[in-house]
Amino acid sequence: MKTKFAGAWATFEYLDDTCAAIKELKNAGFDQITTHTPCARHEIDHALGNPQSRVPFATLAGAFVGFGLAVLIITKMALDWILPVSGKPIVSVPIMGPIAFELSVLMAIYFTIGAIFLMILRDTWKHPVPQSRKYKDYDRFMRDRFGIVVACGNDELEKLENIFKKHQAEEVNLES
Amino acid sequence: MNQLTYGNINDKVVNSMEPPGRSWMVSMVLILGALSMGIFAWAIQIRHGLEWSGINHPIAWGVYITNFVFWIGIGHAGTLISAVLYLVRAPFRNSIYRASEAMTVFAVMTAGLFPLIHLGRAWFAYWLLPYPNQRELWVNFKSPLLWDVFAISTYMSVSIAFFVLGLIPDLAAVRDESKGVKRLFYSIPALCFRGTNHQWLHYMRGYLLFAAIATPLVFSVHSIVSWDFAMSSLPGWHSTIFAPYFVAGAIFSGCAMVLTIMIPLRRAFPGFKEIIKVKDLEGIAKMIIFTSLIVTYAYAVEFFIAYYSGSQYERALFWFRPFGEMNPYFWVMVACNCIVPLTLFVKKIRTNMAALFIISLLVNVGMWLERFTIIGTSLAHGFAPFTWGSYQFEWAEIWITIGSFGWFFMWFFIFVKIMPSIAIAEMKETLTPPMRK
Repeated sequence: MKTKFAGAWATFEYLDDTCAAIKELKNAGFDQITTHTPCARHEIDHALGNPQSRVPFATLAGAFVGFGLAVLIITKMALDWILPVSGKPIVSVPIMGPIAFELSVLMAIYFTIGAIFLMILRDTWKHPVPQSRKYKDYDRFMRDRFGIVVACGNDELEKLENIFKKHQAEEVNLES
Repeated sequence: MNQLTYGNINDKVVNSMEPPGRSWMVSMVLILGALSMGIFAWAIQIRHGLEWSGINHPIAWGVYITNFVFWIGIGHAGTLISAVLYLVRAPFRNSIYRASEAMTVFAVMTAGLFPLIHLGRAWFAYWLLPYPNQRELWVNFKSPLLWDVFAISTYMSVSIAFFVLGLIPDLAAVRDESKGVKRLFYSIPALCFRGTNHQWLHYMRGYLLFAAIATPLVFSVHSIVSWDFAMSSLPGWHSTIFAPYFVAGAIFSGCAMVLTIMIPLRRAFPGFKEIIKVKDLEGIAKMIIFTSLIVTYAYAVEFFIAYYSGSQYERALFWFRPFGEMNPYFWVMVACNCIVPLTLFVKKIRTNMAALFIISLLVNVGMWLERFTIIGTSLAHGFAPFTWGSYQFEWAEIWITIGSFGWFFMWFFIFVKIMPSIAIAEMKETLTPPMRK
């Protein structure tokens, strides 16, 4: 985390309340928003303004790396240990197909996994969350509750609390 | 019946992970017994050589390669269900995909053993890999057997990665429902997942890409397995229909195995009856009908091409299959793969769990025999009549085959007790979220 967290977090029972609160928070100029949901919900994405992930670029890069690697090893090994087969070319392009495909897939998958973790870590770094025991021990986000965490200055806490309460938050916790 | 909610999905899945009861223990003893016999038979075979299997000249690929193709086929349904059905948003996928994915991983782990067992001297298996060595000798990339090494290892890596990635949010849910050491146990693989928007954003995009990449992989892997046969110049093998024929067969047998494991799973954990609905299993039954028709068509085409080609060797082989000395395998295969699945056209049968379970077992038997028929009869009846032969099953390979089922089910039984066998987060996605208005 960048610094000590200052802000507030609230829990909600209903998804529509959560989305309405997110929209109002955005309109009020709060941009350090982190949400919690028990499963992926498009409604939350829409409320947050449809953020995009850059994971696909890593997948594409992985596919190119795998393809290049396959062509390279097949060519290198074919030239290093020559196995003539019925007068066919020593470095044969058609036979590269299956291996190039498999290695492209394999590398694309590894790059995708790496990208998922790195991008999650980067976003977590950029959007601080409370360090309090109460927040860490709250264990209903993966069960049946929605949550919103907003980082802000101490002078904005009251405004934040009012927005959460207006949208019928179950619990509001201020951390300064 | 209680309506499913976000909370009670967690409860039902966590309840299934309670310490095992007597029936689990008894089953595990039987499974470990089968596995032990398999290991013992393999040890004897290593000590005395492959003569203890039925492998002979000309049938140099026998039960072990049959088992390899069979288990790879079983492994297909998991990725098909988790990737292909994810992309097409099939409604019956969510409740069954986690167990099917686990089935894929364990089936590929089982399949991977058989080339090693078939090698005889399993400790030389690394010779298949292209590694730098003193002799400057490299593997032959022109061989479909080497393509297979790459295809299977890639498939296994991707299946495991897909399985583990899908588990992360559910392990986080189980972690939050647990206390003490159990909580610590699930905290580590849950990787601090707390369902934040940043986590879901990259996770879901990555998952979608995984599904998109795994989809062609499903079709490529069994195509490459089929080329192990189709690239050889042998009657019954050298055919262009082999790739789609094998892929359809793999999906067919894989779906049957999904039913074989899901029906008892649904019965073992009463809470699962509300999650794994009859219509979900009916969806798999419909896929079995569809792939059975493709497989039946492929059988017919093989016979027609043998007749139409005018090649006397092809014709002789396709006469040998139904009327030669190995004909019982062929006819049981036809009964199990072409006739029995037709009963699933009747709604009453495909919604009856007992009937569905029996049919799935028969399809598994039929698909094992299909692979044995393809391998055994073609090698037994090649181009040179003076090398024609037959196959006698030996006890070592029978026990190794039974042991492979022990190996597969051992992992599956452990899995259902320590991992969420239903995808919690994805099941929640199918529900209407809690709304005030």
